[in-house]
Amino acid sequence: MPATTKNSFQLVSNGILNENPIFRLALSMCPAVGISTTVMNGVLLGIAVLFVQVFSSCTIAAIKNYIHPRIRIPTYTLTIATWVTVIDLVLAAYMPTAYKEMGIFVKLIVAFAIITMRLETFACKNSVQASFWDGIGMGFGFMFGMMALGLVRELLGMGTILGYDVLGFRPLLFFVLPAAGFFCVGLMMGLFNYIELTYNRKKKGT
Amino acid sequence: MKEIIRITFGLTLSCLVAGLLMGSVFIITDEAKKQNEQINEHRTMMALLGYDKQNPAPSDFNMHTFYRYIIQEGDVKTLGYLLPVGRGEEVGYDLVILDLEGQFVRKEKVGLTPEAAAEASERKAALREVLPPSKSFTYADSTTVACLGDKRMAYLIPGEFPGFKTFIEVMMAVDPSFEVIGLEIMEHEEDPGLGAEIEQDYFKNQFDGKSFDQVKGLKVIKEPMPEAYREYLESETSEETIPKEAVDMVRRQYQDEDIYALTGATISSQAVTAGVKNMMKKFAYRVEILNDVISHQDIPVVF
Repeated sequence: MPATTKNSFQLVSNGILNENPIFRLALSMCPAVGISTTVMNGVLLGIAVLFVQVFSSCTIAAIKNYIHPRIRIPTYTLTIATWVTVIDLVLAAYMPTAYKEMGIFVKLIVAFAIITMRLETFACKNSVQASFWDGIGMGFGFMFGMMALGLVRELLGMGTILGYDVLGFRPLLFFVLPAAGFFCVGLMMGLFNYIELTYNRKKKGT
Repeated sequence: MKEIIRITFGLTLSCLVAGLLMGSVFIITDEAKKQNEQINEHRTMMALLGYDKQNPAPSDFNMHTFYRYIIQEGDVKTLGYLLPVGRGEEVGYDLVILDLEGQFVRKEKVGLTPEAAAEASERKAALREVLPPSKSFTYADSTTVACLGDKRMAYLIPGEFPGFKTFIEVMMAVDPSFEVIGLEIMEHEEDPGLGAEIEQDYFKNQFDGKSFDQVKGLKVIKEPMPEAYREYLESETSEETIPKEAVDMVRRQYQDEDIYALTGATISSQAVTAGVKNMMKKFAYRVEILNDVISHQDIPVVF
């Protein structure tokens, strides 16, 4: 992929729609399946990923000329791990209430495929500015995907949205179990593809 | 060859930079983090005793912490309690050494103030001073005693036991006759939506008001929780106010019940129940021995 020519808005919307990490790139499926049991989990993990992605992308974009191609993957991992640790420590120290909710998610991010993949395909070929916007887009795209999944699973599994009782009963407990994550991801991916197909067909027709 | 040297150099350099960054952030944030943890712990303790901003603790309320250490010399193990004692107007610490049967061995004065005793490193240094170098010691646990005036009001016991995946950290408040006042889940990594429900009021409040004998025989039952009981358990924090008579009636009705398991999280429910049972048994056994020694040896403890 050559250096991008898109502007910042296109980069952000690209991350949310065209290359949505969960529904289009199908990356970072482990958290998508494991943690998307409630909307709130999706929001918190999304925020955490957003920060790590932006910081890591900018770092790699800034030092891309000094990275030996043979050791780029270890360098990416090191960068991500460093930022995850820094964010974890800062959150624990200065935002204890937020950390209480997010702490467990932040530590998980080191192993997320989406961040490494974004560094490999985008940040190491583009400017710091473009990488910044790409990181924002990917972070929000991930958050959007997790929230959409969380909404379906929380509503169907526990009958609540954001902890508020909407239905008054629990329709199918199965949906909060890990296995249901696969069903939800699959079905939502299908839905997204269907919407895109019909949209493109209409566009061609007119 | 030149290539490999460049790679090694590059990796070492980036590791060093990363380490430096992480290290400096750690040093900057460590103080604040520790402070947060202490504040959080203190707030949890007060909440367990029923004190908060609207309902502050009375002026004669005070808390004292004692620490238990395991002292080892060769194969011989003894227990060392760091007890807060009154020395005139001030509070100091005494190290009371017991053997494993609970018999008093000896007593040492330790140069610690209550503020210094809260720091693990300060306690270690103070113990090192009074114990001969041939003895090694490890920290076991701490207990906080809450008093009103000079009457003991509650023991606050931090504890840890295995949950579904990893350890669950809790804080428990029991009164001097070992009746449970409250249970708070401090840290856990149970599954969200399933095992994580152990921190919900309708689960953890089931332990409240259970006597020591009841706790010893607690079982987990897998039945749907009666609606009235659930409402009562959540009544402390919910906005709807239930009339007092109704609350008392429900309490009487369900007081002796076992613990209702969480739906889809039997293992977590059982883990918490077994953990609480275990903590209580061990704690009651230890405190009774300690109380015996304190009264026989006339140790002027402040609690």
